[in-house]
Amino acid sequence: MIDRGQVSPVNGSPRVNNHTVLEQVDERYQVALLEYLAARDEVALLGGYDLGRTALADGRGVLEMVTIHSRALATALNRPLNDGEKARLLDAQTAFFVEVLSPFEMTHRAFRDANTMLRRLNDMLEGQAKRIAYALHSEAGQLLASVHMALAAAGREVPPENVPHLGQVRALLIEIEDRLRNLSHELRPPVLEDLGLAAALELLAEGVSRRFGLPVSVSVSLKGDLPASIENTVYQITQEALANAAKHAEASRVEVDVRQIDGRIVCSVRDDGVGFDNTAGFRKRRPGLGLTEIRERVAALGGVVRLTLNGDRGTDLTIEIPMEV
Amino acid sequence: MKIASPSDVVAARQQARALATQAGFSICDSTIITTAISEMTRNILEYASHGEVIISLLKNGTKCGVKIVASDRGPGIANIAQVMQDGYSSGQGMGIGLPGTKRLMDEFEIRSKIGNGTTVTMKKWRNGQ
Repeated sequence: MIDRGQVSPVNGSPRVNNHTVLEQVDERYQVALLEYLAARDEVALLGGYDLGRTALADGRGVLEMVTIHSRALATALNRPLNDGEKARLLDAQTAFFVEVLSPFEMTHRAFRDANTMLRRLNDMLEGQAKRIAYALHSEAGQLLASVHMALAAAGREVPPENVPHLGQVRALLIEIEDRLRNLSHELRPPVLEDLGLAAALELLAEGVSRRFGLPVSVSVSLKGDLPASIENTVYQITQEALANAAKHAEASRVEVDVRQIDGRIVCSVRDDGVGFDNTAGFRKRRPGLGLTEIRERVAALGGVVRLTLNGDRGTDLTIEIPMEV
Repeated sequence: MKIASPSDVVAARQQARALATQAGFSICDSTIITTAISEMTRNILEYASHGEVIISLLKNGTKCGVKIVASDRGPGIANIAQVMQDGYSSGQGMGIGLPGTKRLMDEFEIRSKIGNGTTVTMKKWRNGQ
């Protein structure tokens, strides 16, 4: 690079052979910053850029660069300077620091782009899941219904001793229907498609209340339709949390609250039961979701999961998902 | 402006910064423009040993910006799509230079012919577009 002679660090500490890597980085940074503060020219700014580019290649993070810069700045200020000189120094150091961080802007933007692409991919997969769910639920369902009718018609014509065989075929058909229904439900609950998230959650709550005698209140406050991927996740996680509250928590009531806060969807399911530990409650069972899967699904949408176990004062499962990345 | 040594890089950055300031770019955007110069000249020095950078002011109605054309007569790039991928590098780099610079600028075009060299044309508009 550009060489215009060695500038020594202000503290003038003699170089020792067992410098740690960080000390070396600190020292190089300090030299480059002082050089810039003295010269205020493009050569020194290029020095800052090179430092940043190397730091990026070495895998340093932005926060690390901030602390390295702060240490170097503190050293630079640790000299006899009048107020005017101090003010000018503080003003000038910004340009240098911006230069150092500029290469990081490239990778920062790359991550942002990758995130947007992931979300688009996610939406596309969700669309595909929707179509497959519909095909399983509706088209395959209708075909199987015709098979049932054909089977019934055949049953009237076969000799009586063969009727039990037809019974076996019917039982298998019913099993296939069950499996397809579960599969389609897992991909995209049809009720979401038909009623939308708020009504689907109400229906879910009614079902739990009826089956388990557990009162469930639902409050949904949204500013419009949500992306299918978020609707799906909120619905299926609420379903799982309600099932857990009903089966394991000995709760007397559950509150489901879904709302849009700024750019986030916050969904919480709170009960007043005795709680449960992770293994007993969100245990991996089929076909439900375990806590790990819940975290994975929410993380895939850029969100977070908080499970608060308040001992005998209940359990709160809250998920937060950003609307946009 | 000829690019054949690190001091030419300094001169190109200086000119780009002066034009960016003249065009009314903020300190951050001026730095981004000089970063683009650094990335492109770095490629020129590494792969073609020398080349050229032309920096000019852009004016289009009320829009104001800076245009950079970086060219060399080096070996050229066989597969442009590949070098524009994140993380792809044929040299010592990390493969962030070309795709990273594209993201820093508003417009970015790369043309290359094997044995004939490479030309990158890019623009940055004040306040993005």
